[in-house]
Amino acid sequence: MAMKYLDKYPRSTAKRLWVLKPLWSTIKLFSKTAVRRPVTIQYPYEKEWLPDNYRGRPGLRFDMCVGCGVCERACPTQCIKMIEVPDDNGNMVMRPQVFLGRCAFCGYCAEFCPTNAMTVTPEYELAELYKKNLFWGPRRLHFEDTTPEMEVHYEVTLQSDIDAGNPEKRVRPFEVDNPVVDEGKCIGCKKCERVCPTGAVTMIEKGVNEKGKPKLVPVFSHDKCICCEQCVIDCPKDCIHIEEVL
Amino acid sequence: MALKDWINYADYSDLQNFAYYPYETHNIVYEIGYNLYQVLGGLIAWIIDVLFPNNGLSTWLMSGPVVNLFAIVNLALIIFLVIFTGVLVSLWQERKTLGRFMDRRGTQIGMKGFLQCVADGFKTFMKENTTPKKVDKMGYTWTLSLVIGTSVLVACMLPLSDRFYIVDYDAGFLIVMAIYALAPLFILVSGWAQNNKYTLIGGMRAAQSMISYEIPMLITVCAVAILAGTFNIGGVVAAQNETMWYVIPMALGFIVFFTASCAEAERTPFDLAESESELVEGWQTEYAGMKWGLIMLGDYLRGFASCAMVSLLFLGGWNIAPFVSAEANAFLPELVQLLKGWFVFFLMIWVRASLPRVRIDQILNLGWKVLTPLAIINLGIAVVLKTGGFF
Repeated sequence: MAMKYLDKYPRSTAKRLWVLKPLWSTIKLFSKTAVRRPVTIQYPYEKEWLPDNYRGRPGLRFDMCVGCGVCERACPTQCIKMIEVPDDNGNMVMRPQVFLGRCAFCGYCAEFCPTNAMTVTPEYELAELYKKNLFWGPRRLHFEDTTPEMEVHYEVTLQSDIDAGNPEKRVRPFEVDNPVVDEGKCIGCKKCERVCPTGAVTMIEKGVNEKGKPKLVPVFSHDKCICCEQCVIDCPKDCIHIEEVL
Repeated sequence: MALKDWINYADYSDLQNFAYYPYETHNIVYEIGYNLYQVLGGLIAWIIDVLFPNNGLSTWLMSGPVVNLFAIVNLALIIFLVIFTGVLVSLWQERKTLGRFMDRRGTQIGMKGFLQCVADGFKTFMKENTTPKKVDKMGYTWTLSLVIGTSVLVACMLPLSDRFYIVDYDAGFLIVMAIYALAPLFILVSGWAQNNKYTLIGGMRAAQSMISYEIPMLITVCAVAILAGTFNIGGVVAAQNETMWYVIPMALGFIVFFTASCAEAERTPFDLAESESELVEGWQTEYAGMKWGLIMLGDYLRGFASCAMVSLLFLGGWNIAPFVSAEANAFLPELVQLLKGWFVFFLMIWVRASLPRVRIDQILNLGWKVLTPLAIINLGIAVVLKTGGFF
């Protein structure tokens, strides 16, 4: 029995000197840290280096925003709300307002933003005395030193592209998906033209309706369309849907 | 009479003629205490004399026995303050060094973190001084005083140099070891008196582990005494200065004594009596506020005394090295002794940072089966070296 145990765990000198091993490893670390600084960072006085695409609070470039509301729908914590604010010319436009008390800093708003108006910023010290001050309006969300690296791109690779021998990533959802109208259902109410933030919808006369009068149907310009789905949401007859290109 | 007439400021050669001078050799602490009393007491005597001319109080204040009494009080205060400051430095050293061992910074606020101990002491002062209802009041209070008192006594009885001591006596290390070994007894009684199972287990462990490490420690002291031919602390240091540091012929004894003194000071690999991860705070569980703060101070005083003893026994004490000239050795020997003590304390911190706490059976095994035989072998080496005429 004893022999079996010794065969399994042979007695080595190194194991008898078990005290020396931790002593050696700690003195190695000590001799390193005695020369260089410890890894601890004095937080309020010195801060860690942050990459440009650090996902801090969301930032908004007011003029680039088209008010499409994709960020509001993409937000997992529902902290973004579209509110009406005057722009530089005094016109009322829809822009996102962020409630930072609920924001999870996930960066999805910046990722899904079709025009890259929404960015991530390296700001993370956002304490306020009152909860109401945590509602950041569109103007306050502006971040001075926005760099191109702060944009977050939503990159997609399509199987059809790979099959066609073109495996490059597409970086916009609207390059991938297109709105399609069911012309039989459309009543030509022009609402899609009104809600489209980029003016990608034009109404043209095409055919006649049941009463024999000429009918208007929307035509989507794929160059301008950002696939924000506003027309899909607002269509009274549910005749527009997004067709995903595979 | 002018102020100058009341102050008899003296250097050492004058002091030797002082009828009540208590020492045979130069004691710089007594000299400082004497002169300090001459300045302060002379000032008070002068003020009283100005207010009430030709009174008896002023002359009595500056008479020989009274000057001697207050000079000795000053001596005790100065020695305690120096040791106390040394202990605070070692506390700070432990915090910073442990931080570096763990790749962090340790304390930082106030003179690079040195004043943290002041803040801690202030905090324990502010705490409520509670006493549990069911404790044995006498055992609870007296053992605490005795543990702290013996710790302070041991730390202060170890001289910092041949001119910085309280009393020069031939029993030297024997008396120090005897006082040192008293604390576990008080810890046992205290653990019992607190009426708490954790404190009782802590006290039992202190007593158990004490009997295992005390014997190799004493045998090692005996081996040193054989080589040096005396138990006198100054004699041991002088003998090392004549030959060599005793760590060279008795490396075995150094390791044994170092391990045992870690256990004696209840430092981390052997802090069975406290063991805060098993027994709340060990034998100190029921002590609140400043009582606990003083226990911590006592612990570090014991650690400081252990380090000073290792330095005196094995590292040449207050002499820089045997081959250094006497003039260089005479330059601030107190600082040399303190630095050597802090170096040994660094070794203790290193051991603390590296090793986990041993079990109670492991320390008994270590004490009886490893350290005691090694100490006896070391004693044999000492006898051989002494009888062989090498020392």
